[in-house]
Amino acid sequence: MANPNYSPSSEDEEDKRLMALVAQGDDHALRLLVDRHHPRLVGYLKAEVGSQTTAEELAMEVFIRVHRAASRWRPEAKLSTYLIHIAHNLVLNEWRRKTRKPTSTLDSAPEPGDQSHESARQVVELEESFDRAVGQLPLEQRTAILLLVQQDMPYEEIAVAMKAPVSSVKTWIHRARTRLRELLKDHYDNQ
Amino acid sequence: MSQHSPSNLEADLATHLGRSRSVAVSGFADRVVLAVHAYRRRQIIRWSSFATSMAACLVATLVYLSGPSEESLIQQTQSLVRSDEASQLNALLGMADDLSMLTPVMDNNSLVVDVIEKNEI
Repeated sequence: MANPNYSPSSEDEEDKRLMALVAQGDDHALRLLVDRHHPRLVGYLKAEVGSQTTAEELAMEVFIRVHRAASRWRPEAKLSTYLIHIAHNLVLNEWRRKTRKPTSTLDSAPEPGDQSHESARQVVELEESFDRAVGQLPLEQRTAILLLVQQDMPYEEIAVAMKAPVSSVKTWIHRARTRLRELLKDHYDNQ
Repeated sequence: MSQHSPSNLEADLATHLGRSRSVAVSGFADRVVLAVHAYRRRQIIRWSSFATSMAACLVATLVYLSGPSEESLIQQTQSLVRSDEASQLNALLGMADDLSMLTPVMDNNSLVVDVIEKNEI
């Protein structure tokens, strides 16, 4: 999992220090590490699997695996990339185990009526269309577009996390954008 | 439904996905630490069980490879006991033989009895 362009920042140095402590069985360091990284990890996993509960379970498994591998971990890439790499593998396993059942994160829809509600309804519809469209993408395309757009990861890091060449990542992202335009053509003007 | 410009798709997608970029879960770190403790406990139980099994196998192998087993010792003891019982029986039988040799002498009537019987007294 080496990234040739990787140069550690102060945040990475802190991750490295915490990982060394975790390897020695320091629970406080593990807590700090989890607090630093779990929000983005759960966010990514929720977008992947569509369920908050499953996302939390998978994130938990990611941190247990990190704890197990802490003594063997070498800081050749960002810890966040390493976490996403493990999470991606777990998502692959989860998908092999069962078919995806996307769940809406929207708890309540506004009542139809006045213009503000009409506008809110359109926003809700668009949000649901996005969820459905992203959910319909093939796994590699979805992961690649999520890591690029949602997690702001550069292509190189996505390639490391997905254990694939950068060229493949670029292809998946291009195809994902094309597919999303097709799926959301009702909401957007045809090009 | 209002139509958006295709160029907005990228921006809308970024906005939509960006909303769930970071999902903080309260108490999540504590749950992870608890799960890690449970994992450690499971590992300890697994290793101690494995170590116990290996030790039992080792002892069994050593007992099997070293000298007479308990079973063979039992067999030897039993054979000794059996031979001892046989010798005791033989001794008894020998005594009986001696008695049988004496029996004809002992069964003979005494001289007084013979005289009485002859004279029909």
